[in-house]
This record gives sequence, structure tokens and C-alpha cells, in this order.
Amino acid sequence: MKKVIYPLMLMLCLTSCSEDLEQVNPNVVTQENFWQTENDILSGFAATYKVLRDVNNGYWGVRGVELTNGRGDDFFIRNDVSDLYQLSTFTNTPTTGTPSSMFTGFYTAIFRTNQIIENTPDADISEDLKTQFIAEAKFLRALNYFHLAINFGSVSIITTVPQTREDYFIAKSSEEEVWVQVEEDLKAAVAGLPVSYPSEWVGRATKGAAIGYLGKAYLYQQKWAMAEEQFAQLAGVAGESVAPFNYDLLADYGDNFIAGNDNNQESLFEIQNQNVGGTEPWAGENANESQGVTTAQEFAPTEAGGWFEAFPTNKMFEAFQQEKTVSGDFDPRMYASIVWDYPEAMYYNIPFSDYTSVFGEKSRIRKYQNWWQDDEGIWISEINEKALRYADVLLMYAEAITMQGRAAEAYPLVNRIRNRADLADLPLGYSQDEMMAEIRHQRMVEFFREGLRFYDLKRWGLLEQEITNSDKTGREYFDPAKHDYFPIPQDEINTNPEIEQNPNW
Amino acid sequence: MFRKLLFTDMLKMTCSLLFLLSPVLIFSQSNTIMGTVSQKSTGTPLPGVNVIVKGTSTGTTTDFDGHYTLDVSSSSAILQFSYVGFKTQEIPINGQQQIDVSLEDDTASLDEVVVVGYGTQSREEVTGALSSIKADDIVTEGSSTVERSLQGKVAGVQVESAGGNPGSGVRILIRGTGSLGNNNPLYIVDGVQVDNINNLAPTDIASMDILKDASAAAIYGSRAANGVVLITTKSGKSGVNKIDFNAYYGVQKITTKLDVLNASEWATVSNAAHNNAGLSTLDIAQNPSSLGAGTNWQDAIYEVAPMQSYNLSASGGGDNYTYSLSGGYLDQDGIVKETGYDRSNLRLKSTLTKGIFTIGETVILSSENWSNMADGWGGQGGNPVGSAPKMIPVFDIYNPDAVGGYGGAYGPVVNVANPVAQLNLETSEYNSKKAILNAFAEVSILDGLEYKLNVGYTNTTGYTYTYTYPYEVGTLFTNADADLYESRTETQYSLLEHTLTYDKTFGKSKVRALVGYTYQNTKYRSLSGSKSGMPEGVEVLDAGTTNVAAGSNAWENALISYFGRLIYSYDDRYVVTGIIRRDGSSRFGSDNRYGNFPSIAFAWNASNEDFFESISPVLSDAKLRLSYGVLGNQEFADYRYSPAINLNANYVVGQDQHLWPGAIQTAFATPNIKWETSKTFNVGTDLGFLNRKLRVIADYFIKKNTDIILQVPIPQSTGASGDSPYINAGEITNKGFEVSLTYGDVAGDFTYDISGSFSMVDNKVGKLGTGSQQIFGGQPTHHGASATVTQAGLPVGAFYLIETDGIFNSQEEVNTHSVNGDLIQPNAAPGDIRFVDYNNDGQIDQNDRQYLGSPTPDFSFGFGGNFTWKGFDMNLYFQGTSGNKIYNGLRQDLEGMNLEYNYAKSTLNAWTPENTNTSIPRAIINDPNQNSQTSDRFLEDGSYLRFKTLQIGYTLSDDILETLSIAKLRFYVSADNIFTITGYKGYNPDLGRSGSVLDRGVDFGHIAYPLSRTILGGLQLSF
Repeated sequence: MKKVIYPLMLMLCLTSCSEDLEQVNPNVVTQENFWQTENDILSGFAATYKVLRDVNNGYWGVRGVELTNGRGDDFFIRNDVSDLYQLSTFTNTPTTGTPSSMFTGFYTAIFRTNQIIENTPDADISEDLKTQFIAEAKFLRALNYFHLAINFGSVSIITTVPQTREDYFIAKSSEEEVWVQVEEDLKAAVAGLPVSYPSEWVGRATKGAAIGYLGKAYLYQQKWAMAEEQFAQLAGVAGESVAPFNYDLLADYGDNFIAGNDNNQESLFEIQNQNVGGTEPWAGENANESQGVTTAQEFAPTEAGGWFEAFPTNKMFEAFQQEKTVSGDFDPRMYASIVWDYPEAMYYNIPFSDYTSVFGEKSRIRKYQNWWQDDEGIWISEINEKALRYADVLLMYAEAITMQGRAAEAYPLVNRIRNRADLADLPLGYSQDEMMAEIRHQRMVEFFREGLRFYDLKRWGLLEQEITNSDKTGREYFDPAKHDYFPIPQDEINTNPEIEQNPNW
Repeated sequence: MFRKLLFTDMLKMTCSLLFLLSPVLIFSQSNTIMGTVSQKSTGTPLPGVNVIVKGTSTGTTTDFDGHYTLDVSSSSAILQFSYVGFKTQEIPINGQQQIDVSLEDDTASLDEVVVVGYGTQSREEVTGALSSIKADDIVTEGSSTVERSLQGKVAGVQVESAGGNPGSGVRILIRGTGSLGNNNPLYIVDGVQVDNINNLAPTDIASMDILKDASAAAIYGSRAANGVVLITTKSGKSGVNKIDFNAYYGVQKITTKLDVLNASEWATVSNAAHNNAGLSTLDIAQNPSSLGAGTNWQDAIYEVAPMQSYNLSASGGGDNYTYSLSGGYLDQDGIVKETGYDRSNLRLKSTLTKGIFTIGETVILSSENWSNMADGWGGQGGNPVGSAPKMIPVFDIYNPDAVGGYGGAYGPVVNVANPVAQLNLETSEYNSKKAILNAFAEVSILDGLEYKLNVGYTNTTGYTYTYTYPYEVGTLFTNADADLYESRTETQYSLLEHTLTYDKTFGKSKVRALVGYTYQNTKYRSLSGSKSGMPEGVEVLDAGTTNVAAGSNAWENALISYFGRLIYSYDDRYVVTGIIRRDGSSRFGSDNRYGNFPSIAFAWNASNEDFFESISPVLSDAKLRLSYGVLGNQEFADYRYSPAINLNANYVVGQDQHLWPGAIQTAFATPNIKWETSKTFNVGTDLGFLNRKLRVIADYFIKKNTDIILQVPIPQSTGASGDSPYINAGEITNKGFEVSLTYGDVAGDFTYDISGSFSMVDNKVGKLGTGSQQIFGGQPTHHGASATVTQAGLPVGAFYLIETDGIFNSQEEVNTHSVNGDLIQPNAAPGDIRFVDYNNDGQIDQNDRQYLGSPTPDFSFGFGGNFTWKGFDMNLYFQGTSGNKIYNGLRQDLEGMNLEYNYAKSTLNAWTPENTNTSIPRAIINDPNQNSQTSDRFLEDGSYLRFKTLQIGYTLSDDILETLSIAKLRFYVSADNIFTITGYKGYNPDLGRSGSVLDRGVDFGHIAYPLSRTILGGLQLSF
């Protein structure tokens, strides 16, 4: 019977089929039905946090880690992926892909936070929850503008969702104005965020994280007193925790970089990596995407199936050895950060002495590698990237105090970092310069491969000196007038008639 | 009903129909009549004349020499001789054994009949620009798809290959690049719209009619803005029952390999590049002379590949019915090892007339299988074809100790995967089954008034199977567990069409009117799954243990159209065609959903005027055509007028680190997006000279697309640049001239025709986006900057590059290249490329790009001929383009000398202080001067002339055939892609790149599959 009816129905189509011109996309949710419930907004947050570890555009995805570390005097990237080699050797141009991807990633997250901030007030949830959500979104927006400021300098500030096509084209603001935006958002975040979350929501932004980043934002602008004020809310003068927060250094430095210690007491904010969801780390934003990262595989040695894209410079290798522990051994941070040819050194279950040096390098990266395994398995690493550690807070706190001419007060803070590394207390009587030299050295050793070195050198005004005196490949192409910042990506220049290129590019 | 029909059901159905029809294939034995049919005016024998016993289904056709033999049961029967272009004759047998006939020319019917959409017209009545190709012109032996055989044959139609891999299609551009989105023409097979015609057997095609201007295509409306290709498959003829068999076998071979370094040469260049950079040389490059030739990776992946094809068909008919049934099989190995394609076809077409009703159908079933090569295993070599020239020859193909058995790259080199390993360790299969079903019913209501109901349904299922074995290939590529990915897709297209036609002649006036309604709906759905960890030898998902993933997605769209056409002709001298249509598309919001598209055309048959008689011996035909029409284009993505929340932007949360599903708006919508329109003005003429021995069709056109629908890239700072919104962005104009010439004559036993076609298209973007909008495209290498721009005032996809100006031969030359004492290229040293500081700002960057050439040829052409002498026949064809540029991306990789992989042979001639007379800069691995960046150094002239086809055949003479009791037997040998004359240094100037028109002239060596040369032999048998 159906066989007869179907053609008949088709014949009737003359009048009734025009309804078929109204088609609704079966693969997505329509906007009218979204942004109503708490769960809608939470899923908006997942989509915003996730950009932080996106494989191409994420600041803590594999390319992001390569970008933040690749320009330091402590790190070099081999000539494999030419975009990375270019930025590591200071031969990058506005068309170099990786900085362009980061730029896209920052603004992708900003667009998403703006959606949350605009839509939350109309959602069917309590006022308290609205305040908290808006604070959380502002934290994420501030984080992305922070990274824009330190990488690109002066950029467009966008805080609303475009309504018309004209809204797509926004001119640049000065770097100072970007910092103001960062500060404003972080202040709102500090006010509205909770101190902690129940276990099932651990990993989201907290009040402590917002305070830490606000202090860091002040520090990067050399607003020492304001920075001190923020850090003092997180740490006491002796580096002890301050209620309601409960941050502390882990006893063993190396525990920070092992998957089993994710979301630990030393962490103020970290990027959540786990092989859940799909199976493809490169899949992009879809159901097939694994939520782990491939960074460890890219850095692993060829003997363990890796692509050995990056190495510590020999300058870094020397810096680790500058001071021995009280028992005369190497700094435990050296053991946790790199591997070199010491007795019984094992790396991916192979004696280090069996590895051949590829470029004359004396050491390899161990931090954030799954180096106790045979290899990097299915290329997906689950170690969370620590975005802001308590150790960073203590050293920034010490720096803010020292730079205000109170080097003596920095001792307990610096000594906490030193003592955990089995280093003796500092001798008394350091001048401000001596204390800063110590802080600079501690930061170099403490934060190897954590993406801070290049930016620290930049704010200290030491980039040219430290890159030139290193053994980094490409150091001769470093031009301080250009390489303090990345150029605005060519794709942005091409599409945004309002934007201007950075000076000297 | 339709969706329940499975492929196998349809097969059964078709087979049973064959059974029903089989009795008509058998005819009874009785007295035999023979004779010869010739042309009365010349006396030459006429092949192919239909000879039937009047009122029966018994009949035959004359052979090449005009002979026929026919068994007739009744000696009182009447024989009917009919042939297109001649008056039909009837001769009573009256007991004769031999009946010779000479047929009179019928000048009135000499005009060819062309298909114009919803009907046919004589050439004389045609008002628009269209080209017609008949079965005999489609020399497809050696071409596995129909479209390939079109290359160079039709004026105004540019056919470019979409890769040389077996079973790949072509890119057809009718009258240039009109749109920036989809430029594919609309294909209609026996009244049903299809995506492409790759799945048709060339031998099944009776004619192809290509509608080029708006007035000709208007009747197909919204999807016709890029032109229409109308395919009519073969029908049976009443009274002519015959069986045809075609078969061929041949071999294919790669035409060009790239000239790359051998092992010791590579080591020499690599060491120089490291020494010049002050970096230590690679371990594997020590002692170049000891390395010898090493592995020739290109030889390792290419082979001489066989192909074969078989087709069997039966056709015929009786008083009230016709039928045509055919089946075929094509099997083609690829010239890249482990690749291949096969296709099985079954086609049935029949009509039945009873009283005022005519009912008919076309059923086309096909199953195609592709064995593809791997897409590339990550890393930077691309697929096996892209990897082979880049793979360093020092490395070994095999390593028995490695998992999987293959060797590969190790050490600090670029991660290029062993191409042989890629071919063997990944099985990539794709199967497509397609059923095209079309049925119609016609009713003659009154004299001249007919109603037709046409129902079409096309079902395409795709199945993808990708199995990757566990492997360790060198040290850079490992896959611990076997992986399996499977997916199935189904696309269902439904068509419902009502048309009412009225044809009437009033004195000297003739009216043909048509009104119609069509409804079209396309639905798609996919389902996919993948797992890893299957044990060896078990290749199903159930056996997988890890990496479980699954997905599905869907889309649907609909089109509704109302249309009318009126053709009025007066005294066969003046013809006017008017078309008006209203189209509605689900791709637009309710305010912009419908568009109205009119067209008008006029033709004057000057040769039918009285005054013409005096010159008719020289100029026998003359017609002038004028047309103007508007068409709509809606070829872009579905659902883009309403904003959406995308799912699966996921993250991780919680102390237990569980999945946190995310959803958010990721792209902007354009609520007011509306129809793109294409307006074409066409003026053309059809001329026949010397009693139509020489025929000329020429057209000039201006085609202007406005409100072009385009994804204009938006700034990255919007946060949604990954999927830019479609907007009505601007205007593109194509102006062109096209002409085709045919000259045919007979000289004794020798008949010949020579034909040529010539097209010129000038393509220019009028407006785009905000006015200064530039859209960049055509990335030529894995990392390189884009090579093309699309902007107002330039052709689409114009080459936009930094210009080079030779090589610095001394430090002094580097120093002179300066502005106010500041070096323009501070990192340059002698031996580096001198770039032109086009904007005079003292530095070289992307702002120094300038327009340096067009991917569109100044003109393209084809010429060839058919020659027959006694039993021999020969066909040959040449085609080519002139004036287009190609960006050679693979050469950019291979002559860059900045990355650790193999290089082109030309790098042996790299600049050194002792070797300054060269165009290759110094070898330097860190390339501080960016010698290897995207620039006009890699832009080449893409003009070529190709000897495309040569076929020589021999048809057996009748006396031999009679003893074998067969009607026709022809043997032939054929060669395809015989040679190409070109200055282009890549694989093939007829680029194998499909995809965006912005990339059209860019040879992205990463993915190209080179073309092959084919030589084959075949036979055609009829009885």
C-alpha cells in the first residue's frame, strides 16, 4: 500500500512541499534554545577552557609550549617544522604559522568568553551564580589578553559579541590599554570567584588563581607595590599559606610534572589533559578529539618513537650545575627537568649513555615527559600543564619586594624555593642587584620548559644580552627592535583593514 | 517506497526485465535478403542505415560498405530503409533476393537534433549557446570516464584533470570561473540531476549536450548558472534488435618522473648547505662518495599498470516499445602501486506506448571500488606521491627487523614517511554504489497538448574502510596498534516534476509552450566508527580494544521551482524563446528564499530568407543568435542563515579528570544572505559553407555574476575566523569568445572530417567585499605563504608574489641593495636571492607582493580529425592551453635546500663563488635570506600542447563477416596522453588539483597523482 501512497504524496507536493524549504540543522543546537540553563553556560565554559590546550591554537597545546619556550636562551627547536624553527631562530615573519595560530586561539577564547558574559544575565539561574559565571569568564578573558599583551603588545580589545559585519573590524589599542583590560577583568574575577570547587569541578578558575594572575599582571608592568599586595593575599612573609587559601610547595619538586599529581597543592591554575572523549589528538573540535596532548611525543627522543623537536641549550645545562645541593649532588630540579649522562641515567628505559647526541647537545628534556615508560605510547600525554605554580608566586613576591628596595625581606621566600631544592640558605647581606640576580637564576632553573624564560628576560631588559651569550642556534638573527614581540599575523593584516602592523615588522 | 529499494532488489528487478524482453532477441529463420544502400547524390555506400521489415521488430543496419543481410519470413513483406538526413524509402520484397537502394538527401531533416532540456529541438530552432557531442565523437577507449574524453573538444568548456589516480574525475569549467564557490556544471542524466558522471560507462552514452548561456540553461534554473551538461543514454530503436560487445585491454605508465638527487649527490648538497650555515653536517651524509645511488623512491612506488574494460549491450524495440540494456565492467590498476579502481555498471532504459500514454524509465546501477593510497601519515611528506621525491635516498625501503617490515627516515631530518611503507601498511578502500532511477508517464491530452510526470530518485551509498597495520617505519613513524576506521554515508535525492507542453503550428507560425513545477530534495546521513588494537588478521571493529570512537551527521536541503517557456517561430526564419522561472531554496532565510529569473533569446535563420538563394552554394547556412538571461546560484553550505551552537568543543574537569562536554557558537551567520545571480549576454552564429562541408559555430559572451556567495575571510580577532560567514561579496565578469569548426568530405574511398575548437575567456573580479578586500589562497607547500590573491581588478586566483631579481654575486651587490644606507636584505650573503622591494619600504615582506600572472589561459584549444579509408579508420586529437601560469609548489620544496629532505637535481648547480652563472641560489640549510620563500622564483609558464588521443581501427569486410554471421567487427589500438610539449617542470601542466578555484593554478606537489600514458587494444562486435 505504501508503494502507491508515496508517489501520490509526491504528486500532492505541488501545494504542500514548500514547507520543506524550512530546514533546521540537525547537527547543532539552535541559538534561541541555548544560554538558558546552568548547564548551557557550563558547556560554554568547557568550550572556552578547551582552547587553552587546543593542538594548534592552544597556549598550552603542543604548538603553544613550543612557541613560549622556543625563543628562550634555554631552549632550541630543530629544523623540522619550519614555522617553529623560524621562530626559534628569529627568522620568523608575519606569515609564520605558529604565532598566527596562537593569535587565533587567544581571540577564539575571547569571543567565547564574551558570549558567556553577554548571555549569562538572561539565563534562568540565581543571581549569585550569574556573578560567579561572569567572574570566571572574565578570568579567562584576562588570561588571553595577558598572553596577547606579552606576545604581541598592542592589539585590538574586543569585549562584546559582534552584531553586524562592521563589528568584525576593530583597530588596535595600546599595550597599556590592554593591560588595563587585563587588570579590570582580573579584579572582577577576584571578587566573584570561589576559593575552591567541589571535587567534580576541580580544574576551573579559582579566586586564588585570579589573585595570582593579577599580581603577575602588575609585576609584568613593574607595578611592584600593587603586585606585592596581591601576592601577600596568597603567601605570608615566610612563604607560608594564607587563609582561606591553602597553597604550598610540594615536598618533591619533580612531583609537579607527573600525571598522578595533577591538581595538587602547589597549583593555582593548570590545564587539564586526559585521554578522554575521542581518540584523535589532532581531530579539532569534534567528538573524535582526545583531550590529551602530543607535546611529550614531539619532544621524546627518536629512540622512543618521538620527534625530538626541542632540546635544552648547553647554556641551560650549565645553569643547572651552577650550584650543588648541601649534600654535594646536582640540584634535584636538574634531575627532574633534564636528563644527561650521569651514572645510571635512564631515559625511556634506555641508559642515557646509549643515546647519541644529535646536535652536540649535552642533555634532553625530562620535565613533562613520560620518560619512565618505554615510549610515549599512543602519543597522547595526560600530564596537566601547570599554568601558575605557588613557586612562581613566591618568586614573583620576592621580586616585587626586592624591587622596592627591601631585598632583606625577600630572603625567606627565596630560601623556601632553595630549601626544597636542597640548597643552603642564602648568605645574608645581599644588595638589591644581588638578590635580583639570585631570583633570576632561580627562575631560570625552577621554570625550565614552563614557558616563562623569554618573557622574564624581556621584562628584565636582558633578552639581547642573554640570547647573544647563549649557544642558541639563530642567536645572530635576534633583533631587539623586532623580536620583543611577534608581528601581527599576516592573515589578520589581510582581513582587518583597521589593524596596523607592529613597529619594525 | 524508493528508500526501501536496495541495490540487490534493483539488480533482481532489472534481471527479470531482461528475461521478459529476451524473446524479442530471437528471430525465426527463413529466406535471406541482401543488398547495398547508397547515397543517391554521390553514389557512396551508406553505413548504419536502418533496414526493417515494416510492421515487425525484425531489422538490421547496413555495415560500413552499405551492405545488409536480413532474414525475412514472408516474401510479401515491405522493407523500410531509414537514415537520419535521408528520406525514408519503402520497398516491397516481392520475392526478390537482392534489393539495392539509393536514398535521397532530405535537406529539411539534415539538421541535427539537440537536447535542450524538457525536450529536443532541431539546431535550426536553437536560440541559445549550446554544444553537442554524439556517441561517435566520444572516443573514450583509454579514458575510464566520460568527462575525460571531452578534454579540448568543446569550445568554451575547459576540462582539467582532477588527478591521475584511477577512477578520478575531472574539473569542468564552462565559460570560465564565474563564481568563487562551486563552479561545477549541473549534470542531468536522462532527466535526473546527478553530482558527477564518473560512474557512467562511456559506451552507454548516446549524446552530451552542453548548455552554455543563460537562455539555454535557464530551464534548469538555480543550479544551472555554471552551465548544464545533459547526458542522454542510448535508447533502443524500433525494429533494430542488436547486441553489441566492446572490450579493451591496455597498460598505463607514468609520463614524467621528477629529477631528484641520488644518495651521494644528496649528501654533497646537504653537506654544503650545513657548512654554509656553519652547522655540523648530518651523520647520514658522511662520505658522500661511499653512498652510491641509494634508493630511487620514485621507481619504488610506480609501476606499469594494466586496465581492461568489457561492455555488453542489447537494444531494440517493436511497434510500441523500445529497450536498451547494457552491462559493463572496468578494472584499472593505478600507476602508483597498490592503487586501483574498478566499476560495474548495469543500465536499463525502455519506453512503452499504449494509446495516449507513454511510460518509460531509466535505471542505472553502478558499483565502484577505489583502492586509494594513504593520505599521508602526518609529518611533512604528504601522501606516497608527495613523499617519494622528498624521501632521502640514503634510507632503505625495507627493514626486516622493524614491526611491519619497512625501513624509513631516522636522525634529525624532516619527518617524511617511507612512501612504500605507506602504500603497504595502510589499506584505504572506498566503495560507492549508486542507483539512478527515473520513471516518467506522458499523456497526450489533446492534439499538441501533453502532460508529463517525471519522478526521479538517486541513492548513493559510500563505504570507507581504512586499516592501518602496526608499524615502526624508521624512527619517526610508529603505530603501536592496528587501527580500523569504517564509515557509511547515504545520499538520497528525490525529484518530482510536472510539465505540461503544448506544440502547435498555425500556418507559418509554430508555438511550443511549456509550464512546469519541480521539487527536489537531498538528504545525507553518515555513520562512522573506529577502534584500535585488533589482533593480526582480524579486520573488524568488534575485535578492537582501544581508541573507541563513533560519529554521525546529517544534512538536508530542498529546492522548489516554477517555470515556463515559450518558443515561437515564424516561417523557420525567426525564433524567439522566453523563459521565466521562480526558484525557492532552503539555504536562504524566509525573506530571501525565492528568486525570479527571466531570459529571452532570439534567432534569425538568414539562410531561409529568399534573398539567400543566390549565395547558398557557398554559404549554405547562416543563423544569428542573441540571448540575455539571468540565473540564480545557491551553491553554498546549508543552514548558514541562522546562527548555531556547535557541539563537542570539549574539555576535561574534576579531580577524576572526566570529559566535560562543551558547546558554543563558533561561527557567525548571515541572516540576510540571498541568491547569487549570473547574467549572461550571448551573441552567436551558426554557419555552414560549401553545402555544409564546413560548419562553424561561434559565440561571444559576457557573463556577469553579482552578489557572489562567498566565505570572505574575517579577521582572526573575531575569534570565528575558522569558519567565516558566507556573504554576498561582489561581482565577477567573464567575457569570452569561442568557436568550433568542422570540415568533412568524402573523396572516393577516403572520408574525413577535421575539427577544432578555440576558446578565450577573460576573467576579472569587479568588486569584492569591502572594496579593498583581498582573499588569499593557493598555499603551495606544507608551510609556505599563499601564492594567489582574489581582489577587485584582477582575475580570480591571480598570482600575487614577491618578485625575484636574480642572485647576489658579491657582498658589494648585497650592500648596494639598500635604502638610505640600510640594507634591504640584511641577512643576505653572496649567492642569495635578490628580492624586489616593491613598496620601497626598505625591507622584504608580504607587502612586497605584486600581481605576476593569471592561472586562466589566454586561450585554450583542441583540434583533431577522423579519417576512414576502406576498412581502416583513424582518430587523433590534440589539445592545450596558452598563456596561463602555474605555481610549482613541489619545486619550491625540492629546490629550497632549507629542509632536511631530498632535493631536485638542479640543486647540484647551486651558486658557489666558483659557480655564479646559475639561477639556483647557494645551499644554506637555515636559509637566513628566505631564498625558499613563496616568490616568483617558482612561478612557471603553464602553456602546453598535448597529443591526447590516437586511435587506429580496422573493420572487417562483409564477406568475412557473413561467414561469421556477425554484423560488425572492429579492432583498434589506441593511445592516450601520447606526449605533451610544455616548459612546465612539474609532473603535468594540466594540474591534478581539485578544490577551491582560488588554488586553481597552484601545483601542490604534496598530493598530486601524476597522469599516465595509456596504450591499449580493443574490439567492438555487433550482431
